[in-house]
Amino acid sequence: MGAALNKVSFIVASLLVLALLGTGGSLLARPLDDVVDSGTISIFVYSDYAPYSWEDENGAQGIDVEIGKHIAEFLEVDVEFLIRGADENLDDDLRVNIWKGDLIHRRYADVMLHVPFDREVDIRNELAVLSSPYFQEKMAVVHNVSELPEVKTFGRFVTNPIAVELDTAGDFFLSNAFRGQLQQSVRRGRTFADAENLYLEGEVHALMASKAQAEWVAFQAAKAGIESRISQPPMPGIVRTGWPIGIAVKHDSRDLSYAVGDALTDLIETGKMGEIYERYGVSWSAPELE
Amino acid sequence: MKRKQTLLAFAGSLTLGAACFSTSAIADVSVDDLMNDQATTGDIVTNGLGPRGQRFSPLDTLNKDNIKNLYPVWSFSFGGEKQRGQESQPLIKDGVMYVTGSYSRMWAIDIASGEELWQYDARLPEGILPCCDVVNRGAAILGDKVYFGTLDAKIVALDAKTGKVVWRKTIGDYEAGYSYTAAPLIVPTEAHGPLILTGNSGGEFGVVGVVEARNPETGETVWSRPVIEGHMGTLNGEESTMTGTKNATWPGDMWENGGGATWLGGTYDPDTKLAYFGTGNPAPWNSHLRPGDNLHSASRIAIDPETGEIEWGFQTTPNDAWDYDGVNEFISFDMEKDGETVKAGATADRNGFFYVLDRTNGEFISATPFVQNITWAEGMDENGKPIWNPENRPGDPTESADGKKGEAIFAVPGFLGGKNWMPMAYSQNTKNFYVPSNEWGMDLWNEPVTYKKGAAYLGAGFTIKPVFDDYIGSLKAVDPVSGEVKWEYKNKAPLWGGVLTTAGGLVFTGTPEGYLKAFDDETGEELWKFQTGTGIVSSPITWEQDGEQYVAIVAGWGGAVPLWGGEVAKVVNYLNQGGSVWVFKIPEGLASK
Repeated sequence: MGAALNKVSFIVASLLVLALLGTGGSLLARPLDDVVDSGTISIFVYSDYAPYSWEDENGAQGIDVEIGKHIAEFLEVDVEFLIRGADENLDDDLRVNIWKGDLIHRRYADVMLHVPFDREVDIRNELAVLSSPYFQEKMAVVHNVSELPEVKTFGRFVTNPIAVELDTAGDFFLSNAFRGQLQQSVRRGRTFADAENLYLEGEVHALMASKAQAEWVAFQAAKAGIESRISQPPMPGIVRTGWPIGIAVKHDSRDLSYAVGDALTDLIETGKMGEIYERYGVSWSAPELE
Repeated sequence: MKRKQTLLAFAGSLTLGAACFSTSAIADVSVDDLMNDQATTGDIVTNGLGPRGQRFSPLDTLNKDNIKNLYPVWSFSFGGEKQRGQESQPLIKDGVMYVTGSYSRMWAIDIASGEELWQYDARLPEGILPCCDVVNRGAAILGDKVYFGTLDAKIVALDAKTGKVVWRKTIGDYEAGYSYTAAPLIVPTEAHGPLILTGNSGGEFGVVGVVEARNPETGETVWSRPVIEGHMGTLNGEESTMTGTKNATWPGDMWENGGGATWLGGTYDPDTKLAYFGTGNPAPWNSHLRPGDNLHSASRIAIDPETGEIEWGFQTTPNDAWDYDGVNEFISFDMEKDGETVKAGATADRNGFFYVLDRTNGEFISATPFVQNITWAEGMDENGKPIWNPENRPGDPTESADGKKGEAIFAVPGFLGGKNWMPMAYSQNTKNFYVPSNEWGMDLWNEPVTYKKGAAYLGAGFTIKPVFDDYIGSLKAVDPVSGEVKWEYKNKAPLWGGVLTTAGGLVFTGTPEGYLKAFDDETGEELWKFQTGTGIVSSPITWEQDGEQYVAIVAGWGGAVPLWGGEVAKVVNYLNQGGSVWVFKIPEGLASK
């Protein structure tokens, strides 16, 4: 009797698993023809990554999400977003989101957006292909003009607190800078939104992030009546002050990356790219290639 | 005594009706049963064969002479499409085995027939990023419930008879990188009755180690104790005390995200009434950013379960720079030294040293190397503090900010440790510890440029390397009084499974090559082996049922080792995955031969 009941519940559980697999089935990286035939492209973007990408009660939001929608439109297919957090580094993200999938459900996407375009990364990740840079990332500081009118050097932050998202490029720079002299001033937010809130609530008057994120914070702060400025003081010892951002696909889907590249070129040439960034208070910068 | 209870219960069920399964004879497990687990050989109701985790069985039916007649009784497949690492230790109660498996699954199996009674599958969400394979290390049992943790950082209480969920509570937010793999620990208290204790596990950054105590009936939290100084604990829903002194050994706000995950769970000593937990490495990984000892990362701590207060802490690797997680099990034992009995505890650390401490107050007694060619420290001073080799500390990445790969240093042990998660055993007969260890080191260098969440970043590169050409795994008999290694069994692949020792003079452990092996506890001579068909990375058990001594092991290759490449991959990359339990006994009439 007990055993029979168990069997029923087990079958129900199996059906649920099958249902989950069914919806996930389309989330496997494929070449262009397969994507077009299926009528849907799956695109990976990071979660909790304003202004580029995040998810809230209104669904997927942000610059990269809008870019993803335009890519789908250009290819005349529907779009499905795979939204996940960042792993320890880009190599892990490429593995989990582009060529191997997650450990539990083995899902991955056709295209990953917001991938730093770097030859070394491309070479050491044989199963992913990096291409189509569409934006130039830079590092910057946003600061409250009435409290900190000018930030010409990071010397400002020996005594003034500065917010940063935990375990990011900015955190790494601030923790190391000037032999640890800024250590006591760094206020780390567990997420970018946490760091942003420290600034919006006036607990700190400066925040370090990418320039686009800094501009987004200034854009949000303006709504709260805080006038902000973006500065790029010298950053001695920082790994890179800027780098191009492109896309990645699985190694067997190069033709898909060409088609997506055409969609991105179209966005840039028609001026639509700049308009998308503008809606988030961010000025678009063309990728700078060596 | 316990046997009689079982028989009575069984007789009772017979009067109710012959259609009942033997499972209806399950007697509720009391907290006394848990505390006496080591002495009661008819069941295994704790992880570690007793709350101290000695993994010693007083059974001696099976001995050095008759072990050659040990044969499998049945094997049970976990099934499913997914296998990977099986690190679980089964529990045994009234003829039923409760065993957990990869991907947060659990089974109840009728031992007499090897047939499944029920299976529970946690429905895991997609966003889990477990760092080190999808393992589970075992369950806990109390009353009429069995408990285990799932990869999405939840603890689940199941009805032991049906496998149905009684309650399910969140330990951490899996989306923020938390997970759970250890066996929960159940301890008695006067103030709250029995409590179920869990640690936490998760990604490398932002997770702060914590020990939490819950009411086993309801799952409600009674107290919590963060292990990193500066954080507040709670008791009965209110703030209790701060752990240590804020900023005493951490700069700035780094303590807020200081690491120290308590991912391997704990042990309990009914004598001192203290729960012992190990704490993981500190964050961030670059030790130059966090000058100071960074307490209580890479430590053993003793917690009073009545209040959740830390009674003492002992740090094995201050200001860790090598990823020497201090999570290893702390095993209470009474040590005869210079004619006195010392209330001692022992732990074999990732950093390659075997420590003996006074378990009542955490005072240092001794530390001796249990792996060879250790480079990171020359030894320990009289207080148990490492005497560092400064040239073997990984460099500060900012020193090589030109974007070039920094110079590599070779450190022993490697980041997977002289001993990793796999528990050692203590024999009350030989007074030796049997330590599953690995002889390997690591090359460490500053990475040129990597990216994290779309931004350029300096990382550390590392690769693990064998110290010797012909073997990595090394099972050692260690005398805790002298620190002397009495014997050593060398294994080609790294050892990743726990150890069991018995009054019959046997030491059992499994190998990645798929063998369950038995050794002579005095000489290390290999007496018996059985090929399970896949690698073993779990802990063996033994118990008595119907007058016969049984042995069981979970098989299934995986865990952290196959996730790393390099030279170590050469000795493990041919191993096949699996997922099964094997049960052995001596066929009738052969026990005396």
